[in-house]
Amino acid sequence: MFERLRRRRLDGELSDDALRRAALAGSGEAMAALYRRHGGLVYRFTLQMSRNAEVAEEITQEVFLALLTQIDRFDPARGTLSTWLCGIARRQLWKYLERNESAALDFDEDTAAELPCPADGPAELLLRREAVAAVRAGMDELPPLLREVVILCALEEMTYEQAAHVLAVPVGTVRSRLHRAKARLAGLLRGEMADTERKRR
Amino acid sequence: MTTDRELDEILAEIVREHRAIGAPGRLEPLLCAAAASKTNAARTPRFRLTWAAVVILLAAAAAVIWQTRSRHQPQNQQARSVPVPRVRPEPTLPSAPVAERQSVRSPSVASISAPVRRAAADRARHPDSSPQQAASNSLDEFVPLPVSEGLPPAVELSVVRIELRGSDLQQYGLQAPADSVARAMLAEFVVGEDGLPRAIRIVR
Repeated sequence: MFERLRRRRLDGELSDDALRRAALAGSGEAMAALYRRHGGLVYRFTLQMSRNAEVAEEITQEVFLALLTQIDRFDPARGTLSTWLCGIARRQLWKYLERNESAALDFDEDTAAELPCPADGPAELLLRREAVAAVRAGMDELPPLLREVVILCALEEMTYEQAAHVLAVPVGTVRSRLHRAKARLAGLLRGEMADTERKRR
Repeated sequence: MTTDRELDEILAEIVREHRAIGAPGRLEPLLCAAAASKTNAARTPRFRLTWAAVVILLAAAAAVIWQTRSRHQPQNQQARSVPVPRVRPEPTLPSAPVAERQSVRSPSVASISAPVRRAAADRARHPDSSPQQAASNSLDEFVPLPVSEGLPPAVELSVVRIELRGSDLQQYGLQAPADSVARAMLAEFVVGEDGLPRAIRIVR
């Protein structure tokens, strides 16, 4: 019971800064509390981006080890610990993507907005399930630069400022990338709805 | 606009599924261990220095103790291994009147028993091994002669029995009791190979 109370106190009451200092002083419990607090975000982000659970786990581990070794690079004035951790995860991810998805990284932001939608025209969502699957597939097909914005802003519900801190880009860039990503997903969704309508007829 | 709204709804649904994904639990103990080991690694040099200093100090203390003991050990061992035997007077020895002390070299030496000779030799080699006895005026046992102080230690010793008067003890640095100044007495001298006396005892 005391263990549970102590764990609850570590998880809930202590600030990131206090936990970080305790972890640096050798407290494994503080490290575990930090992991429970931020590990999910880092893991989900890396999993969605890499689509590989093993890679996501490995990167997550490296990110938290970096917390012990590179903590002097963290500046609380510039952002929160979670966004700093996500930024490290992103750098690790991009190294992985550069090795494995070099073709997918050839993404031109200027032309991305002008890509035609697969199915232009009004459509009606018939099967919700299919639509969700279509959007999910559409997210996977998004270029990494757009996909990461969708994951951070739409799925993790970060603010533009937080996402900008993670991605190390201006807030305006985050906003425009998210707009483009959503436009593409909407286009995919419209195409899916059109196909479904066609099948029904 | 309808599609955008529907997209938001679908994204909200995906968010629910997405948020259900948690960090793998098996990383938690690994990270705990990493935090602890990193701290240990950071502390290791300091601990190593501390332990090295402790070991050096202990080794130095042990060396000093060992040297001190080895310096004292021979003396102690000698003192222990050569106990001074209490030599009883030998009343059965014949008393031969001797005129000149220096000439009384030993027809009688051979007749003296071995323990007596050993005791005499030991006492002569270590004249200060029983200062209490030397301090007392009892001459029942061998007492180092004050005149023998400063002489080199004798290697070969012999015991010479001499008849003398109490007043003769003064020339050896000893004070005879007043009642025995004029009395003749039989004494044994421990004499070194240089012919100089080292110790004396009164036989009767």
